[in-house]
Formats: sequence, structure tokens, C-alpha cells
Amino acid sequence: MRRDLGGFALLFLMPILLIIIMALVQDGPFKDYKDRKFETLFLNLDQGKVAASIKKSLIASEQFTIIETLNGKSLEEAHVVKAIQAGKYQFAIIMKKGISAEIVNSGNIIANQIGKKIGINAQLPHRESRDSIAIELMFDPVSKPAMKIAITNAVERFMQKVQSEIVLDRIASLSPNTEKDTSFDFEKILHQVGVKEVSSQPKNEMQSKMNSVQHNVPAWAIFGMFFMIIIISESIINERLSGSWTRIKLIPGNFSHILMGKLMFFVLLGIVQFYLMLLVGVYVMPLIGLDALQLSDSPLLLFILVSSISCCATAYGILIGILFNSSNQALPVAAISVVILSAIGGVWVPIEVLPNVLKSISLISPMRWGLEGINNVLLRQCSFTDIIKPCVVLLSGSAITLSLAWLIEKKK
Amino acid sequence: MLCVNNLYKKYKNAETPSVNDLSFTFEKGKIIGLLGPNGAGKTTTISILCGLINQFEGDVKVLGYDIRTQANIIRGIVSVVPQQIALYPTLSCYENLLYYGKLYNINASKLKETIHQYLDDFGLKDHLHKQIKHYSGGMKRRANIIASLLNHPHLLILDEPTAGVDVHSRSMILHFLKQYNAAGNSVIYTSHLLEEAETICDEVLIIDNGKKIVQGSPEALITQYQTNNLENVFIKLTGNQVRD
Repeated sequence: MRRDLGGFALLFLMPILLIIIMALVQDGPFKDYKDRKFETLFLNLDQGKVAASIKKSLIASEQFTIIETLNGKSLEEAHVVKAIQAGKYQFAIIMKKGISAEIVNSGNIIANQIGKKIGINAQLPHRESRDSIAIELMFDPVSKPAMKIAITNAVERFMQKVQSEIVLDRIASLSPNTEKDTSFDFEKILHQVGVKEVSSQPKNEMQSKMNSVQHNVPAWAIFGMFFMIIIISESIINERLSGSWTRIKLIPGNFSHILMGKLMFFVLLGIVQFYLMLLVGVYVMPLIGLDALQLSDSPLLLFILVSSISCCATAYGILIGILFNSSNQALPVAAISVVILSAIGGVWVPIEVLPNVLKSISLISPMRWGLEGINNVLLRQCSFTDIIKPCVVLLSGSAITLSLAWLIEKKK
Repeated sequence: MLCVNNLYKKYKNAETPSVNDLSFTFEKGKIIGLLGPNGAGKTTTISILCGLINQFEGDVKVLGYDIRTQANIIRGIVSVVPQQIALYPTLSCYENLLYYGKLYNINASKLKETIHQYLDDFGLKDHLHKQIKHYSGGMKRRANIIASLLNHPHLLILDEPTAGVDVHSRSMILHFLKQYNAAGNSVIYTSHLLEEAETICDEVLIIDNGKKIVQGSPEALITQYQTNNLENVFIKLTGNQVRD
């Protein structure tokens, strides 16, 4: 090890680089849309009360920066289309002409209907409602569906608020002698009952939050542990090609003991690598503007899980090393299989967003079980019983893989 | 010392057996040359004798022990020097020898003593802390032999120990083998250098296509086949055709 300090350092430095880059790259997608601010092209063709109210609500939400001029000129529909197509802005809100008039008309129809039911004979002026008019949202073609949904929901919410205000205002207008009661705070009353996120964890427990760091650091640390199979398999192949493997096999005693010695060394190396990655998550990530990794208060559970993952990764590396006769055969299989196992194991994107067929296949990925166990410990603050299943799966996988390696070696 | 009866080994998917009804016996305390053209079955025979291959037909007894049932005992008293340099290139010679010695469970102080003795015998004591990858071809060969001597084997099997080495290293290796043999140990060695085999071997066994062709002392074979050296005996018995 000390003869190849450069290689040894790279063994740790490359995964560190990987988790930093991946956490940065995935920081945006992992942030809640409510944490982001959108530059919004706002084309107001309506110029009425509704457009003004929606614009006011958008600004008040502090999520939208309203842009109504480009290069010093007022926006026109053609400018908006061109700017969105060019990808300069992610979306635009187009308040079509007549929206205010249509919503007021709808308010009048509703107020007349309510007035009729409660015995007010007055009628507000109205005409038959039209359904062809809408607030148009124009998105950059590369916008993600999740973002489109979030923006659409936000605008609809603002519009419903304005509609409600107009309906109430129209109802009040049915009786022209009634003065408007300014002490009546409609919005405040409606918000007496709202929607609030609550934690599933006990109040005295650390409140973990899923973010880029919390997902990427453990996920890519597990990936790094599995990527060590390249080193393990190459080491075994080199030993075999050089004759050292044969020399070791000719030494009296049980060859499996020597195999176990090798296993233990690489398991230890994997554990050290994982904890180093965690330290990077805790101390380095905040230095580059990301959240710090939150660790659990169950270090023993984490250690048991990490040991199981490392054991499984090492056993897989030994199998690859024994199965193939040359590095040229082993390396592509090792590298590509790890990438595939990581993809279906939820390292690249959470398992929840995978198609159903991949979700089922992901059960064969040790990285899935490793990540699930780590999330149980770090995010869900689970107990020992909750990590038994992932640990059993990982250790069983290790035992099966090692037995297979042993049988192949014996046959060779 | 070595008793092989009707040895037969055919690898999976091979058209012909590598070793085919091979029988021979050798007495203890001799240097035996196992000779044959490429693909004759030398390496397979050696692998069976040391217990590396355990799927074969026939009976093999090494130093009185049955290779099928007492392979672990045989491994303790027989050593093989592989043709490749079976050492870790990034470790020093000393570290390599310590590692292999520890796998044999040899007492630490005794092991160090043994290592220093052999390093001295093979002219490597001034280079013991040099990494193997920085050794010359001859030095690597010598270190490779030392690694197989750490358990003081009664039978040393060498697979082409002098292939591609310089004259001085070769001379040193052959000199050591004679000394080792003189101490009462047995040596089996394979080589394509028949002049060398003629000089060092008490007896040779020539095999071809997995079968025994002839066995005897080099002098006796030269007389029997009326040639002037072992190489000519070899060519006479195995033909002139180049084997790959």
C-alpha cells in the first residue's frame, strides 16, 4: 500500500471528487421549487383588475421576478415566443385580453345566482360566460414536467384567490346601499384552516431533510465502495497471472482462510472510504454552498450497515476477479455492471421515480439495499430492526457471491 | 520418493489428454529432469504432483504420501518454483519473502534467519530492500526460487528456472540446486536447455503427447541412442517438428 501512495490517494480522492460534483450537479433538481426564484416574462394584454391582482400576488410570493420589458421595450407576444424558444427564460405568463372582464362577468353570474337563492332580487349585469379565454403559460420546451406542474399550480392558486375576491365583491354589490366592511379579512379567515407539513419523527429527534447532499453523499459513497471491485478484481487477476495465486494455493492450510484475509482487508478499505466520504459531506459540502450532511445518532447501526455493504462489494470484486482470466475481460464487466447496479439501485435518481419494471429489477441491486438501509438510519432515524432486512440481504448476497467464487476457483 | 502409476488427465473441451497413462518412479535424493517438447504434458504432471490439480485418474505418491488424501502434508514438504515471477512487484524482495514465510506459519525469528541465509546464498543480500520491479531478470528468478525454499522442502519442483536469465545467475542457480541436492533433498526440474539438464540431472524422464518416451540417466541414454549429447537423444525421440 505504501509503495503506491499515489494510487492509494486516488482511491479516496476520486470518490471525493465524484460526490462533490454529483452533489453540486443534482443540487438544483433536489431543491424544492418553493426555494427557487423564477424569472417570469409577464405579458399583460388584459390591463384589467385581474391581471394586476395576479401580478401583485406573484410579486408578493417572492418566487417570481416579473419581467415586462425586454431591451427597454414593452413585451409583445412575438418577443415572448422568441425569448422562450431561445431558452433565455423558462416560462412566460400571458394575460390574454378580456380576462378581467370575463372573471368579473363570472362573478356577476355567481352573485346573481346566490342572490336569487337568498331572496335578493337585484341583478348584476352579465352575459353568457365564454370558455375559450385563459391565462396562458408558455414553457421552455426543455422544462421538466414537475416544474410545469408547480408553476401551473401556483398561478391557478393566485387566480382562484382573485376570483374569490371578485365573487365576494360582486355579492356585496348586489345591495348597493351596503357599505363595504373593511374589517372583514376574507383571506385571513380562509387561512384559519390550511395545509401544513409535519414530521414523522419524534420532536426531540433531529429533523432530517432530503436534499442533494443527503441523497448524493451516501449514494455515491456506496457507488465508490462498489467501484473498488475494479481494484479488487484486477489485484486477483494480477496475482493469478504472476503466479502468486498459485504459490499461495500451494501453501498448506485452507485457501479459504487466505481468501477471507483478502476479503477483510478490502472490507476495511471500503469502510474507511465510506466514512471519509461522510466527513466530506459534513465538513466540505457547506464550504461550497451546499447543505451539510446530517448524520444519525446511531453510529453503531450505520457501522453495521456500512460493513455489510463493503462486504458485499468486496465479495462481488472477488467473484469478478476469479471469474475472468484477464483484466481486459474483467474491467469492462466490473465497471459497467456497477454503473447498471447503481442506476437501478437508486444512486442516480431515487427509486421512487424509476419505472415500475425497474423498481422490480432494482431488488437485485445491492446498492438499492445499501441505500435503503442508509436512508433508514440517516433520514428515517430507524431502529436496529429496520436495518436487519437490508443487512441480511447484503450479507446473504456476499455469502452467495463468495461461495460462487469458491466453486469457480475450485473448478479451475 | 515419487511413484506415479497410470496417470491420466484430460482437460474439459480438450481433444486429446494432456497426460496419458504415464507411469514412472524416482528414488529420493536425486535431481530429475522432466523433459519434453511444448505441450508434452510437463506442466500438467507437475501440477498434479504438487496437488494443484486434483481431478485426474491414476495413483500418485509423493515422498510416500498419497496426493489425493494427503495433499496438505505434501504441500508442507514439497515446493514449486513457478515459471512466472510469482512475487509482488511493488514490494521489496524482503517483504515478499516475509509475506510468503508468514503464510507458512514459520516462526518470525527463524523466518528472518532463513531469509537472510538464502539472500546471501543467492547474492541478493545487498538488494533485499529493493522493490522486485526494479530487479533484473536474473535477480527476479533467484528471488522467485528463494520464496519456494522458505519451508525447507524435501522436494523442490522447478518449472524452467533458468529460462531467460544471464549466465551468472544461471550458474548460481544450478550451483545452488546441486548443493541443495547434496544436503539430501530431491529436485525435479523442467527445462528446454538440454545441455544444462545433461550437466545437472541424475536422471531424466522424456515425455511427449502425455506419454513416457524414455527414462534414465543422461549418460545411459546417450549411450543407448548412440549420440553425443542429450539434445540429440531428445530430437531422435521426439522428432524434428517444431511444437508451438
